[in-house]
Amino acid sequence: MASGEKTLNEQPQTDNGRPAWVKVLIPVLALGGVGVTAVLGFVMVFFITAWFGNPLPVLGFDQSPVQPIAFPHTAHAGSELLFNDDGSAKMDAEGKQLTGIGLDCTFCHRTVTDTNVAGIPPVETCVTCHRVIGSTQSEPLTLLRTIGLGDDPGPIQWKRVHRLPDHVRFVHEPHIRFLTDVGNTHVIANRDEAAILAGTQSDGSVLAAVTCSTCHGDIKSQTQVAQVEPLKMGQCVDCHRKNDAPTDCTTCHF
Amino acid sequence: MVTAAERVSSHKWGMAVDVDRCTGCQACVMACQTENNIPLSTEDIYRQKRTFAWIRIERYWYGDFPNVKARFIPIMCQHCENAPCEPVCPVFATYHNTEGMNVQIYNRCVGTRYCGAGCPYNVRFFNYWEPVWPSTLRNQLNPDVTIRSRGIMEKCSFCVQRIRRGVREAAQEDRDLVDGEIQTACTDACPTNALVFGDFNDDNSRVSIMSHDDRKYTHLDSLNTEPNVVYLAQIDATGGAIGEHE
Repeated sequence: MASGEKTLNEQPQTDNGRPAWVKVLIPVLALGGVGVTAVLGFVMVFFITAWFGNPLPVLGFDQSPVQPIAFPHTAHAGSELLFNDDGSAKMDAEGKQLTGIGLDCTFCHRTVTDTNVAGIPPVETCVTCHRVIGSTQSEPLTLLRTIGLGDDPGPIQWKRVHRLPDHVRFVHEPHIRFLTDVGNTHVIANRDEAAILAGTQSDGSVLAAVTCSTCHGDIKSQTQVAQVEPLKMGQCVDCHRKNDAPTDCTTCHF
Repeated sequence: MVTAAERVSSHKWGMAVDVDRCTGCQACVMACQTENNIPLSTEDIYRQKRTFAWIRIERYWYGDFPNVKARFIPIMCQHCENAPCEPVCPVFATYHNTEGMNVQIYNRCVGTRYCGAGCPYNVRFFNYWEPVWPSTLRNQLNPDVTIRSRGIMEKCSFCVQRIRRGVREAAQEDRDLVDGEIQTACTDACPTNALVFGDFNDDNSRVSIMSHDDRKYTHLDSLNTEPNVVYLAQIDATGGAIGEHE
């Protein structure tokens, strides 16, 4: 029986002569290896996709920040039927389903056809209409309706969605001017001519709203604005080349 | 139909400096400083001999005592057609564009400083440090001009932001540019109109006319840099031109 006691005191032997703790360690290491590979692979995919386009919509990179006020572009710029968050149809007081009112982008973003920036409208612009119209259930609209001249809640701290790097000087005005001029025989990246011409006005010009979507995506169908296009330099240069626009570096970088 | 690219590249921007008119008041230096977000040349920076001045006034004395007079020459990037700074750049951060300007692309620059070594006019400046402004000057910065970060070479851009704005506004109103419509910060500020900015492709522009003046000379002519900045020599009291030989 002495030999039996001895085997109990020895390290338990496997078939291959390895100790049992090694046997446990192998799958742990294997799993760890798989895990590290997965993480590295994810990081690589993230950076590669971010290099060529928009980064993966994770870790706050979904290009669609939550705004301080849930401003629905669907109701203002869109003209389709409106739905609540739960999917039910949005009704007015008389039980009619609401549709968007189809405003042109320049109704609120007024400086876009004249200057560098589109501009965020001041609260005053909202109040102009919402003094008298809008749901009584909505908290921000109630605030707009009851706000007095004396109590200034300050500007709304909107989160910026479309941002170009600091070394890029983008000016909206010439782009809107070019794209709304149907006399130009231009090729617009990512868009077909028919869609532009569908928005042609009686005087031959094109609604700015139709051209904005070239870079901003279909804003009028977004309840929460997201950056759709990657807005990388390649995209700019592609379009500039197709349309005989200047491609000198100092067009945008100075 | 003029394409947007043709509209931009149909110009050849240049400057004419009438040295005879320059009083050395340094208004151009200040205007340039504020327009182009140039880092402050503080005492500390000055002691390191790293002052920034895209345009500077060089002062020379002439005449024998007691009839000594000062002569001032504004020196900025000469935007050479045959620029020594351009071929040495390994990343094409500085190159000659279609408008006759020697341009510096900040986001391409990797800071080798070869261009600064190659420039015979000493008008290129390297950001050895991240530029800082006192809080009182933060709102003074020009939003149309990039703030150059550490490790980037910079120099006079002929106020390209003003050229872009001028060309754009003319296109917006669907008309041709008028001579003198686009002014750089220094020509705008010059009280004696010693500095004149304009288009050399336009034969009737002031710079074109001045460049055919008898007093015309260019700096460091022997280097064959073919500058786009021409100088008109100073006339002394006796009627002779001075300053062509320096």
